[in-house]
Amino acid sequence: MIEMVRVSKAYEDNPNALFDITLRVEKGQFIYLLGSNGAGKTTLFKLLYAEERPTAGEIRVNGFEVARLKPRRIPFLRRTLGLVFQNLKLLPRRTAVENIAFALEVLGAERGEVAKKAAQALRWVGLERRGNCLPSQLSAGEQQRLAIARAVVNDPVLLLADEPTGNLSITAAEEIIRLFEKINLRGTTVVLATHNEGLVAAWPKEKIVLEQGKLLEASAPPLLAGG
Amino acid sequence: MKDSVGQGGGLYAEDHRFEGMRGYFFRQAWQNLTQNPWLNAITLGTITLSFLILGVFLILFLNTKGLLEDWGGRIRVTAYLGGSLSQDPLNRLREKVLGFEEVQEIKYRSKEEALKLLEEKMPERKELLRGLPRNPLPASLEIRLHGEYQNSEGVRSLVRKLRGISEIEDIQYGSDWLERFSAFMSLLKVLGLGLGGLLLLATIVVISNTIRLSIFARREEIEVMRSVGATGPFIRAPFYIEGLLQGFLGAVLAVAVLFALFQIFLTRVYEPLKDLLGNFPAQFLSLEQMAAVALGGLVLGLFGTQVSVGRFLRL
Repeated sequence: MIEMVRVSKAYEDNPNALFDITLRVEKGQFIYLLGSNGAGKTTLFKLLYAEERPTAGEIRVNGFEVARLKPRRIPFLRRTLGLVFQNLKLLPRRTAVENIAFALEVLGAERGEVAKKAAQALRWVGLERRGNCLPSQLSAGEQQRLAIARAVVNDPVLLLADEPTGNLSITAAEEIIRLFEKINLRGTTVVLATHNEGLVAAWPKEKIVLEQGKLLEASAPPLLAGG
Repeated sequence: MKDSVGQGGGLYAEDHRFEGMRGYFFRQAWQNLTQNPWLNAITLGTITLSFLILGVFLILFLNTKGLLEDWGGRIRVTAYLGGSLSQDPLNRLREKVLGFEEVQEIKYRSKEEALKLLEEKMPERKELLRGLPRNPLPASLEIRLHGEYQNSEGVRSLVRKLRGISEIEDIQYGSDWLERFSAFMSLLKVLGLGLGGLLLLATIVVISNTIRLSIFARREEIEVMRSVGATGPFIRAPFYIEGLLQGFLGAVLAVAVLFALFQIFLTRVYEPLKDLLGNFPAQFLSLEQMAAVALGGLVLGLFGTQVSVGRFLRL
């Protein structure tokens, strides 16, 4: 599923964005990626979906050798992933259902298939009555659910969610966590990056903890901490 | 979502669907064109204007070339002989001159024939001419040149060779106007190429700028497309279609405007000058040339798009 071996990432202004990370996430796990702001959570995600290349180390995701992946193969890695971004990246001029449909259209899905799957995804996240609303007409929680619906409509093997509860109320955050659990129960591996300690305490799961680019803790048995 | 989410594998994970997506590409390209109508109208106008100016030069050049060839076909070089030649030396001279590569045809005109011709041309001086003690007119060879030598260069080359023949005393050829006209054509060619090059460059810049703005306007969609796994060619395709459409429409529009202008030129300018131009038929672009202009529009559209996609759409 995910395997990182001695992975480091250095930027000019941050030579230890990630340093010597070795970890493994098995299929079907629900795992928190914890760490304060700047700990390297987003960088780690970017390495997993090949937005960035590691400075050193090996990364395998869903059978793809990500560190050596040719640029033209990157889209095919991403088709096995669901990505929920911190800033959501919803399209402001498209309605909720169009936002979901767009993710299928651009992969060449048939029109009928697009309509059917987009409606299913809306129902899945409880937005079936809000399909014709623009993102700006949705609440923060609804926008988050819409972003999740778009991420899972392509039936991903692995879902990477970056701070999905960041700006939400406790009630809305709980709804989102329940939604991720529901997705995980269907078989999708979920990695949820957060710095919300309260959330982790309320909904305990296995966790990976990063601090200043280094792996501080990996709690679950399948995780191999250290080098 | 009963049978969808969490089943694993990712839909279309290894699918290279491109076939059947033309409708999507054209819809996206059309959306790009219409979401900023003023900008696209200005782009289209610039492309049209560029091709229009180029078209005017092309038509002017082609017609001037045609006119020159038409006039060049009437070029004759007349070689006047020093004295009367008997049949054998005359035959040898004819053979020699016919042997020059520039020469297509020779017509010999004896002294008597020359006088007769003059009498026909000046019937009022007929008696005067008959009263001359001897025929002052020389015999001559009227030489017609092959098509490819019917220009100032060809005439000069032939004249050099004729001057080396002792039996020929004088040579007449009216190629001054021909040289001036050739110089005018060269100028037209240089101007057309120079201006054309600049205009084509400007067109590429304008198209590229429009595509850059299209990319900018769709940057959020492009980000989402990348994140869900749309391939590079898939993301780029609508921009190429947009650029190609702009180039093609601009070129076609220019040909249409050019045709309308040409019709006005025919009635207002050409008809009154027709006799002066020796009834040379003014010509519009041929079908092949019009197709070449449209193809040129496509090529410029492609280049313009490539410039922006290469710089601003790194995937």
